[in-house]
Amino acid sequence: MSDSVIQSEHATTHATARRTLPSAVGEPMVWLTGSALVLCLGMIAVLLALVLVNGLRTFWPGDIDQLTLNGGEQVMGIRVTEDTEGRYLYRVGNRDIGQESFRWIDGDAIVAIEQPDDAVMLERESWGVWFGVPESISVVGQDGELSRVTDGSGETLEAFGEMHSEARGRRARGEAMRKRELGRINRGIEAARLAVAEAELGVEQRAHASDRLGWVSWSLVLASVVFAGIVWWLKRDAGVGIGAAGVRVGKITRFGCAVVVIFGGIGLWVGGPWKVAGMTGESRDAVIAASVLEQERLQVEYERVLGEVRAGEDIDSRERFVVVEPTLGRFAPIAQTRGDEPMMLSQVVRLVAANRLSFFGKVKVFGSRWWEFVSTGPREANTEGGVYPVIVGTVLLTLLLTVFVTPLGVIAALYLREYAVQGFGTSVIRVAVNNLAGVPSIVYGVFGLGFFCYTVGRYVDVGPAEGSALSSGVWWGLFGLAVVAAICSFGCSLWGKPDPGHPPRVVHRVLSKLSWVGWGVTVVLMVMVVARTPYFMGFFGARAAEGSPTFGARGLLWASLTLALLTLPVVIVATEEAIAAVPNTMREGSFGCGASKWQTIRRIVLPGALPGILTGAILAMARGAGEVAPLMLVGAVKLNMDLPVSTTAPFLHADRSFMHLGFHIYDLGFQSPDSQAARPMVWTTTLLFLLIVFALNLAAIMIRAKLRGRTTGAAI
Amino acid sequence: MSDVETNERASVQAVVAGGIGGEAAHYDVIDAIRRGESVEPTVHPEMGEVDSVIQTDDFQLWYGAAQAIHGISMDVPRGAVTALIGPSGCGKSTLLRSINRMNDLVDGVRVEGGITLNGAAVYEPTVDVIELRKRLGMVFQKPNPFPMSIFENVVYPLRIDGERRKSVLAEACERSLKSAAIWDEVKDRLKESALGLSGGQQQRLCIARAVVADPEVLLLDEPCSALDPVATIRIEELITEISERYTVLIVTHNMQQAARVSDYTAFMYLGRLVEYGPTGAMFQNPKLIETAHYVSGRFG
Repeated sequence: MSDSVIQSEHATTHATARRTLPSAVGEPMVWLTGSALVLCLGMIAVLLALVLVNGLRTFWPGDIDQLTLNGGEQVMGIRVTEDTEGRYLYRVGNRDIGQESFRWIDGDAIVAIEQPDDAVMLERESWGVWFGVPESISVVGQDGELSRVTDGSGETLEAFGEMHSEARGRRARGEAMRKRELGRINRGIEAARLAVAEAELGVEQRAHASDRLGWVSWSLVLASVVFAGIVWWLKRDAGVGIGAAGVRVGKITRFGCAVVVIFGGIGLWVGGPWKVAGMTGESRDAVIAASVLEQERLQVEYERVLGEVRAGEDIDSRERFVVVEPTLGRFAPIAQTRGDEPMMLSQVVRLVAANRLSFFGKVKVFGSRWWEFVSTGPREANTEGGVYPVIVGTVLLTLLLTVFVTPLGVIAALYLREYAVQGFGTSVIRVAVNNLAGVPSIVYGVFGLGFFCYTVGRYVDVGPAEGSALSSGVWWGLFGLAVVAAICSFGCSLWGKPDPGHPPRVVHRVLSKLSWVGWGVTVVLMVMVVARTPYFMGFFGARAAEGSPTFGARGLLWASLTLALLTLPVVIVATEEAIAAVPNTMREGSFGCGASKWQTIRRIVLPGALPGILTGAILAMARGAGEVAPLMLVGAVKLNMDLPVSTTAPFLHADRSFMHLGFHIYDLGFQSPDSQAARPMVWTTTLLFLLIVFALNLAAIMIRAKLRGRTTGAAI
Repeated sequence: MSDVETNERASVQAVVAGGIGGEAAHYDVIDAIRRGESVEPTVHPEMGEVDSVIQTDDFQLWYGAAQAIHGISMDVPRGAVTALIGPSGCGKSTLLRSINRMNDLVDGVRVEGGITLNGAAVYEPTVDVIELRKRLGMVFQKPNPFPMSIFENVVYPLRIDGERRKSVLAEACERSLKSAAIWDEVKDRLKESALGLSGGQQQRLCIARAVVADPEVLLLDEPCSALDPVATIRIEELITEISERYTVLIVTHNMQQAARVSDYTAFMYLGRLVEYGPTGAMFQNPKLIETAHYVSGRFG
């Protein structure tokens, strides 16, 4: 009593002495945190501005300077940049006459700079740009002599537009025909040739498929179990009073029958006695004869189409365009090795007479260059042309990886949060999943290459590896063992569950642990059964035997699966959080209505967690879209103009390698033979990449907003 | 566990203050229960004559090592409203949730003794829990409408049974919304989210959801404890109305509520049944002084 009085007096005397610490004043922290945020945003803004400015600048047509150097030398080009010592970097092009396409010129050495009206920059199909003055458009006559159609730069430039678009149209038609018609015929020939190889393989397969006794014992087991199941089914007692043991026996019998019937059916279907794989000698000969006929027919057609294409190209090659550069007075040649012939008109992709263009003319060139960039394939070791296949590859990869990772992650998170008993095990798994997010992505690349491409892909192509296929007797034994293991595990989990209204005893705990071990063993056995089956020879054996694997190499499918694995932790973590955020009262309400666990999950938990799940998918997509390192190993290539999607079956060619914007940037920046020419393309590609990732995210966010509106409705 | 202790302390004080005319009252039964002795419940003779729908037979329940219900045997009469009252932690909600086995969702629950619903045992390995819960409608303490439209909320129990016919669903929805006395308020906004309703409306919606599949018994777990007085009165009216068609078992903290809505009342204390009889007799003429003091608010 007296103690407390003293204490309170003590407190009152000191109350006046309390002072306010600096840390209690709010303003400094506001400034500190605020400026940290500004710093972060500022760095991002600078990065974006840099990409934006440099990316947009690339395609703007600069003025063409004609320099007179103090040695009397004439140089024509576009100024790119200057350094601190007064030197200018000029893009001078004209690589095919042995000149560096970029040149540093000392400012003091320049005597005069002009910007002649008739100077043009040609963007060509090959050998980069050409600077010069157009002289004439000529036609090669029958005797091989050139006769001028136009004369002088003014007249030539005037006539150029119409003649050029006609020539380009002809060339495009020819190329399309080459690609489409000849491509189709080539595919036909290839298919016919493969049919022969497959027939040969089939004969070999038949020769090896002799040992088929394993199925006999198996069929007996199958028949007896099915019989037992039927007997049980007929005399089953569904009434009250059969007790817990009765219920369990009933369940395991049903499960056992189902497993044996399903897997027995699969086994007999794969290696049944009536099924003779492969083909006989006669049928092989028939296939070969038909194939030879088909190849001959296609060869004739090939010649015909090729003739048509050649005729078009012949007309094309007659129209020549003479553009003379000022230094040596040479015209742009048709090819580097044929320097005495002027180039074909159709080889010009675009002519930019920059000095006579108005502002709107330049905007037009800018627009047309951008259009070319996003709608055509690359030229000149990727330093020119467009990135259309790259865009397609990137978008497809991102979509595929999202399609793969989302269901997988959601299912994993559902089990972890809704079904699994929360405890040490689930904590370990959570930590492991989070750590998975920290594994360097190149490790995933190595894994993807080794596992997906070389193991799974190879299996799809040619079946079990040489020598690993089991003899059929052993295989059937393994198969039966797997089935028995599955039934035992199911039994363990049944008897490991306590009776209703009773907590688990030690025996239950042991049995449920055992059932986990049992399921593990079952999975291992099943994997062995599948991986070492003597009855599967692969889907693409013929092609793989020629050294060109279909799925057993780097490709879009494996790349997207690798990235799906890489982004899995993101989805699992996001989904788990979203599921945990669904209030428990909702679940109780659903159970109270008589819903089962799965019905509750499907109708209450998943819709409630959907926005969170989609957030996870968006994060995974963003992460996956930006990955490059693993792609270098599992599928991205420098150049592949064959898109992974096409109008021919199977439309999505997931086995093909693809181009990817991230890898493209790396390739342009560090692997390009002409790094000066590639540098601006790095910026432009980066800008485009950012835009695409942004667009993909925006689309996903819009879908999420729409779904969220549907599931939650207008609350209050 | 700590709840029980607090309660004990609270009731010790109640004993001190609760005596008539300042004298300390002697609660023999409750003292015995507090000492952990087994006490024979005082059951009014009228209870022996009723036709019971739910019977518990020496039902005991443990949460891990802690026993929450100590052998309760009682019959819930058919076609009437039965209220379970008692101080917090006396096991009334636990008893209610044992009937439709919602306690299965809690880890480490152990039961002994039996509960029968219409003569069929509830705790039997052969019993399908899902099917059991379908026969019992349940309404929870806090209104818990699902985040979907009002219509979908009401027909949820039918949906999970695979009912797809529009006409059947619409008819059932209207019928149960009418029996939950909320039809007039929501009939024009069936497609809107149920989360936009007020608390009282949400609870009536939950009652509509609980009765849509014609349950054998309606279990109400303190349905008004999260509602304001006006909403409470509407729910109470609704319970009276609905009891014409359904057997209702209601857990409540509110003595007046029990007096207003129920036909029979069971007074529980620390997991034991103390007194059980017709509501009128329990409130006006109870056999035990503990009951008299509890219902008049002198302790507990």
